[in-house]
Amino acid sequence: MTTDHVEITSAPISVESVARKVVPRECGATVTLDGYVRKFTKGRETLYLVYEAYEPMAISEMKKLCGKARGRFDIANIGMVHRVGRLEIGETSVVISVAAPHRRAAFEACEWLIRELKRTVPIWKKEIYADGEMWVEGEPAL
Amino acid sequence: MNLNVLFFGAAADSANRRNAELKLEPGASAEMAFSKIVEAFPRLRDHKLLFAVNQEYTGGDTILKDGDEFAVFTAVSGG
Repeated sequence: MTTDHVEITSAPISVESVARKVVPRECGATVTLDGYVRKFTKGRETLYLVYEAYEPMAISEMKKLCGKARGRFDIANIGMVHRVGRLEIGETSVVISVAAPHRRAAFEACEWLIRELKRTVPIWKKEIYADGEMWVEGEPAL
Repeated sequence: MNLNVLFFGAAADSANRRNAELKLEPGASAEMAFSKIVEAFPRLRDHKLLFAVNQEYTGGDTILKDGDEFAVFTAVSGG
């Protein structure tokens, strides 16, 4: 029995609470990615970020990724939370927690999940600078 | 038939709106809808675009139905 936790939220994300939501008794390790807002990207200073999601599709794609990850790696539960709206420097934008019987599979699955999230989940980031703003456009890999 | 068109991120800025209604002949494909949308909002050509039908990535040959939700957006950049 697995219970994933998938969510899009405009409220600050508590990294620990995402990690703790997904810990079953048969597991021995949880790997958690805490992705947060970077101040400098390629030398340019960001003031803050705005994230936008196509929410129902984002949730459905995140759930699909959880299912695929479980097919590829020996893992149990997954927590995946992405924030939307305005985020200040240093605030958490995404948390992915993977619980597994052994750590290696948890590390590998966590890396795979963030890579796939950035490629397929319909969420967009706008960087706001002192002298302008720009939507970041990813690599169209689909 | 009518499609409910949604725009997100940079695509919403370029189309200068977040949604639109599109009238199409019955039996139209996703590719036909996509071409019509880009024709109606030419600034969308500034971007590499993706589309989704009813919240699923789908191929251009998918046949659309009345009332389908057709989303147009740039390559994603979450994380």
